Amino acid sequence: MNKQKVYNTIHYVLLIVLALATLLPVLWVVLSSFKPQSELFRVPLTFLPQKWTVQNYVSSLQAGNFPVYFSNTVFVAVVSTFITVMVNLMAGYALAKYIFKGRNLIFTIMIATLMIPLQVIMIPIFLQLKNFGMLNSLWGIIIPPAATPTGVFLARQYLVNLPDSLIEAARIDGAKEYSIFFRIILPMSKPIVATIAIFSFMWRWNDYLWPLIVITDNKKQTIQQALANFVGQLQINWSDLLAMTTIAIIPVIIVFLAFQRFFFSGIAAGSVKG
Amino acid sequence: MKQHTKGNFHQTAAPLLFLLPNILIFGLFIIVPAIQGLRMSFTEWGVFTTPRFIGFANFVELAQDTVFWKTFSNTIVYSLFTVSLIMVYALALALLLYKNTIKGEKIFRSLFYIPSLLSMITVGIAWRFILGDEMGIINYLLRQSGGSGIPWLTDGNLAMVSIIGVSIWAQAGYYMIILIAGLQAIPLELYEAATIDGASTTKTFTAITLPLLRSTLLVVMVLSTIASFKAYELISVMTKGGPGYATKLIVQQVYQVAFLEDRMGYASAMSIVLMLIISIFTLVQFKFTGKEQDYE
Amino acid sequence: MKKILGILLILVLVSTTVFAAGTKEETGKDVTLSVLWFNDANEDEIFLNTIDDYLQANPHVKLDMQIVAYSEYDQKLKLMISGGNPPDVARITTNTLSVVVDSLEPIDNHVADIEAVKAQFLPSMVAFASNTKGEFVAYPTEATANGMLINKSAFDKAGINVDEVSKDWTWSEWESIVKQVVAANPEMKYGLTVDFTPHRFSTLMYQFGGHFLNKDQSNMEFNNPGTIAAIKWFKHVHDAGLVPKSVWLGSENPAELFQAGLVAGHIGGSWNINTYNKNVTDFEWKAVRMPKAEINSSVPGGKFIASFKGSKNQEEAFKLMEAFADKAHNEMYSRDTFNIPSRVDAQVTYPSNSDDFEVFLEELKVTPAFTANEWKNTNLSKVTTYIREQIVEVLLGNISAEEAVANVDKKGATYFK
Repeated sequence: MNKQKVYNTIHYVLLIVLALATLLPVLWVVLSSFKPQSELFRVPLTFLPQKWTVQNYVSSLQAGNFPVYFSNTVFVAVVSTFITVMVNLMAGYALAKYIFKGRNLIFTIMIATLMIPLQVIMIPIFLQLKNFGMLNSLWGIIIPPAATPTGVFLARQYLVNLPDSLIEAARIDGAKEYSIFFRIILPMSKPIVATIAIFSFMWRWNDYLWPLIVITDNKKQTIQQALANFVGQLQINWSDLLAMTTIAIIPVIIVFLAFQRFFFSGIAAGSVKG
Repeated sequence: MKQHTKGNFHQTAAPLLFLLPNILIFGLFIIVPAIQGLRMSFTEWGVFTTPRFIGFANFVELAQDTVFWKTFSNTIVYSLFTVSLIMVYALALALLLYKNTIKGEKIFRSLFYIPSLLSMITVGIAWRFILGDEMGIINYLLRQSGGSGIPWLTDGNLAMVSIIGVSIWAQAGYYMIILIAGLQAIPLELYEAATIDGASTTKTFTAITLPLLRSTLLVVMVLSTIASFKAYELISVMTKGGPGYATKLIVQQVYQVAFLEDRMGYASAMSIVLMLIISIFTLVQFKFTGKEQDYE
Repeated sequence: MKKILGILLILVLVSTTVFAAGTKEETGKDVTLSVLWFNDANEDEIFLNTIDDYLQANPHVKLDMQIVAYSEYDQKLKLMISGGNPPDVARITTNTLSVVVDSLEPIDNHVADIEAVKAQFLPSMVAFASNTKGEFVAYPTEATANGMLINKSAFDKAGINVDEVSKDWTWSEWESIVKQVVAANPEMKYGLTVDFTPHRFSTLMYQFGGHFLNKDQSNMEFNNPGTIAAIKWFKHVHDAGLVPKSVWLGSENPAELFQAGLVAGHIGGSWNINTYNKNVTDFEWKAVRMPKAEINSSVPGGKFIASFKGSKNQEEAFKLMEAFADKAHNEMYSRDTFNIPSRVDAQVTYPSNSDDFEVFLEELKVTPAFTANEWKNTNLSKVTTYIREQIVEVLLGNISAEEAVANVDKKGATYFK
């Protein structure tokens, strides 16, 4: 019993030390966002602001058009998360539970293209978006990156482990293929849906490159673009940058907290080893 | 089992329909541009000029381009260390946090996950405040206590170490989550049986945990390898690839050649080489995945 | 799960309405000019403020401000131009100018007397904005000059009258002076920091008598005694601990080191006046003349507005730019953005720091004219990142200055075919 106690204490101390190390950089950013600009780079450096101010928040919210950036980002993140989950779950299902010609080829191509750095094919992508009239439209940020190989990969890995017997039983009962997917597979996929949803939401929320390719119109920009706008050619507006960075973190944390129930507990329950 | 499945799953239309939206989007917006990129690698092409076919000239030049090969070896070093250390650290975290026995476990999980919620630009900014040579907190504290600062980002080797460290910090939480899920999927009875048999903790870990976690570890490996080959924002913010070429990865070089030096064709050739290398990586990893599936 | 889905749905609906409200705005035959812009501070607001009277007088003209982060600006603009979709008006730096110069619509086509227009602006700005055919392609809006800002309190503490010594000093005199300053200030560690850009490095290069290109700009000529001397000197001050390594090797921000009181001086430029005005509260600072090596020199720079070949509303764009470039608007814009005006006839009364601006103007006056011509060279702009890397390789001791300049010339030559 005593040994257990010692073990537990070590366990806790280790966790707390690691957690502190993990949080320190984030805390530094958050606390710095309450410092007046003149205090940011003053020696001696202090952890807490000597003079607390919310001026940075006021001015960063007034710069440009924050409500518009915010609602654009929410719209893009939510809609694309929905599309991403559906498109990838279906593809993952096809790759996990059907045997057909070219299955491995398709999967390999997907994984291989995961590796192409987007920067490399930016110009052809831009021209393609132009052909489809998707430039300066939020749909241009939503649709093209919706088919993520990562999502397909995760969905497939999860669905492979679902027992085939359920699907077979449904088939014998005469269920249509699509209704098997929607009635049986989808409800059983909650954990992986939650996982892909969180990952997708996070990625969309923080994504900078796609909006950069697609959007110039100020009324269609996202928060990450607004953040980058604070870094100029010759000057950096640190205080506004830090304040808006902090604001931008909050929604992802909320979404994470809302979904984490499914995220953590669900995966184990759902994955019956085949 | 395969035989059995095949007998029932003869429909070919259904899987294709399920795949269709994905293939359509993916094909139009990634594959087609990528193929265009391939064609461009055989041309000389600036953004305002029409491409001119020059055969393999770009690839010949690439073979002798010392900067490219430097970024190539940097990429390998960065990926190797980042991926393996992330796997070790994320697994350690997951092992500390998967049992649902300790108080506050969920809070800890969330705390470790927070860095993964940040954009890489934010991560870079945060760590510059910490690792900066003159203005960073760590060196400031070291100097206050009488020591001398450590050139975290100014020394070539240390800069690589710093970048790898920050990458691990930023992503470990994400993979920890996947690994926790994998650990929780291992039936408890197995552990109970092992305890009854008097197996040591190490033995249980190597005999039960690791083998059963293999498919999850593979997911983590594939995803983190991919992420490591694309590390662009973090390095741009933290070191700009420096000092000199010490932390410059292929992606940085591709970007610079394409957009600052205006040589789209040459940059395409570089990315083709990058893609080839990664494909080899993936193939190797697939060898493992393939084997694993046969077990089931 | 249902609850969360409900919340998400509401969020989507709310944002769609906002989004939809944002899209319908064009009505009737009004002209909406798309203006591509980036910000250093809040220049977009000042621009709109400055041009407000013009927009009042011309209610049919509306502006659609498109703001792009500077780091991606050139690339984005290139994408727009190559996609056949250039903006009507764009804010342009000297660097951007060197990249897109051939896509700009010459002002010559839109005014009766181009020479009269050119005569209104600083010669260096006109040099930047002239294409190879000699056409004038962009209206200069603000001028910048590279220069030195120093921590006056630190010089005072060392008993050095910085105004006196900096009147006409050389880099070797500077070296002994600044050592005294560092010695007299326990918190101060370095004598100087130089921005991590080839543009700021070229300040030193020109002072040492160096250059990038040969006389007729037909090829790179980085390999010349002046440039080699400048690189060697730059390495010397790094090795001697007079300049912090963390800026050129660790990409630490030099303005932050200056603000923290760690360095006695900073080679930045006229834009730093604005930054330091806001951020420095602990000591007195000021702009001083830079020491000379072979000659005195700054490097001119600045920003412009321009329209493009193929812009949809060229006519209205040129009317707007012409109005913005006139004397009254130029003075107002320069004053509010805290910049050097681009017009020769502008009389700006700054709310503060007029002495500092005077110093930068003096620096510009002694700067050789060829510096602007070099920096607007399209081919040079493709090699500048490589130049920066090669200088760092010298600082690291990996290669010699001679090797670096040879490498640069070799690489540069491929662009001058």
